[in-house]
Amino acid sequence: MKTIRYLTDPALAPVFWPIVLAAVAIALTCALLSPIVVTRRLAFVGQGVSHAAFGGVGLAYALGITGVGGTLASELSLLGVVLAFCLIAALVMARLGRDRAGDADTAIGVVLVAAMAVGFLLLQVAGERAVALGRPKPPSVEAVLFGSLTSIGPVDAAIAGAVLAVVLVAAWLWRRPAVFWAFDEPAAEAFGLRVHLIRDGVMLLLALSIVTTMRLAGVILATAMLVLPGAIALRLSRRLGPVMVLSVGAGLVGTLAGLVLSFEQGLQTGPSIVGVLIVLLVGSALSARLSHGRALAAAGPGAPTTPRETNA
Amino acid sequence: MSVNADVPDAAPSRLPHMADSPAIDAIGVTFTYPGQSRPAVDRVSLRVEIGERLGILGPNGGGKSTLLKLVLGLLRPDSGSISILGQTARSARESGVVGYVPQRIEAQLSFPISARQAASMPVARAVPPWRPLAQEARARVDRSLELVGASSFADHPVGSLSGGQLQRIMIARAIACGPRVLLLDEPTVGIDVAGQQRFSDMLKGLHESLGLAIVIVSHDIRAIAAGCDRVACLNRTLHSHTAPQGLTPQVLAEVFSHDLRGAFGDVHVDAHAASDCHDPSHHHHEHAHPTEPPA
Repeated sequence: MKTIRYLTDPALAPVFWPIVLAAVAIALTCALLSPIVVTRRLAFVGQGVSHAAFGGVGLAYALGITGVGGTLASELSLLGVVLAFCLIAALVMARLGRDRAGDADTAIGVVLVAAMAVGFLLLQVAGERAVALGRPKPPSVEAVLFGSLTSIGPVDAAIAGAVLAVVLVAAWLWRRPAVFWAFDEPAAEAFGLRVHLIRDGVMLLLALSIVTTMRLAGVILATAMLVLPGAIALRLSRRLGPVMVLSVGAGLVGTLAGLVLSFEQGLQTGPSIVGVLIVLLVGSALSARLSHGRALAAAGPGAPTTPRETNA
Repeated sequence: MSVNADVPDAAPSRLPHMADSPAIDAIGVTFTYPGQSRPAVDRVSLRVEIGERLGILGPNGGGKSTLLKLVLGLLRPDSGSISILGQTARSARESGVVGYVPQRIEAQLSFPISARQAASMPVARAVPPWRPLAQEARARVDRSLELVGASSFADHPVGSLSGGQLQRIMIARAIACGPRVLLLDEPTVGIDVAGQQRFSDMLKGLHESLGLAIVIVSHDIRAIAAGCDRVACLNRTLHSHTAPQGLTPQVLAEVFSHDLRGAFGDVHVDAHAASDCHDPSHHHHEHAHPTEPPA
């Protein structure tokens, strides 16, 4: 097993442990937010925010903020630029999409492609300037899009852990208003909750989690880690406690199995993680269908085909 | 125009010390959405006494939801004033004096919670995060669930409930906070005729046991005819007001801007036809309320 050697060999362990720890923190962060992303239908918004991160990376490199050197200050300034870019994009999407329901969709589509185009051009410019000035070269477009393990160091693991702590504390402190908002936003507002604050808070946590996930899974696959664990959990349970536990479990299993797969076979990490999560999703959908069929058979003939058809 | 001119005997107040402030007192309320030339609600005056049940009937786009948002303090009138039991609309909402039952369509039914959890949300929202929900608050939620006849399915996931069951949960959620005024927005959308009867029986029981002022806003005559002391018709302005028996085709034609006599042989028999009538000058800022097929 290469994985065991990577984690025990004194020469390799300092390289691979930060990757594993960062991956675990990222998986937990995303899995905690995932049920909200799925039930509030924020997948496409997440996609928009994560693509904005691509623009943010381009901007940071064009400004000469490279994060290279691995010091906390350089990493944080890179993350700061990317996070700011993501938040501005989220704000623009929210403003553009506020007036009419259909506009939200278009707004996300527009911001997404605009951020991609800007990011691509800025990375190109940054690459040319880096060569001319003898600065460190920006990451390849592929590394930004699909993630790259070599870019994850101890500082990244520490930042991922800090983000996890922030999400955990926020989720615990605001669990009641957040659940009310997620279940029924208009009613939450009518009962006196400041729903715009909750919405902005959730967007901030989403942006934070996407910015840290980017290194591991890349801009394109970051949303997968926010969507798949919750989708799996919601196939298997309709109770909040079990859904949270299942989501965290699916996120952890998918991420660790994906990491092992990528270590063993030398595959790209982001796509490996997503691949395992997709297999889990198919499995959960099949098992949900099977148990539904069994429940129907147990109820006998004449039983309603869906629970919704039973009337009061 | 005030609806209060010929109030029939209002139900006796259960709270004598509040008797001098009406449950809802709106005077000359006008509201225009930004960018619109015509007001959505125009010089509406409305007085609902404590313990009274008022139905507000009107076409889609007639300003019903706007009026509700004004009463809830979610919108501020451009002119005129609204007070709820002597408080401003906003402080009444925030202090839990007003219970609100939204259209159930707006909730995310895929959300993984039980009916009981859904009903306890407003009660739980003010509890500090480090403290569990108090025994007394739990008991209040249980009692509300019992009052609406929802105890038997209180632990089912919300996604598995029928339209009528969900409706009861939403009402339990509103009354768990101990409101004095209950507002219901289009309560009959998506509920079949049998469920409709159970709904109005349940509302009648609630009214008797809690002495709430109840305001039902709907485009559907069935929702209103069943259990209101008075009916007001809203189409931007409050057109007319009457006891439910007075809902003649002429009155309805006035508010729906149509002559409905052709469609209405008898208001009480063929009431469903009203849900298909729209104001021709339909406003897009008002949500359309498609009538769902019975669950």
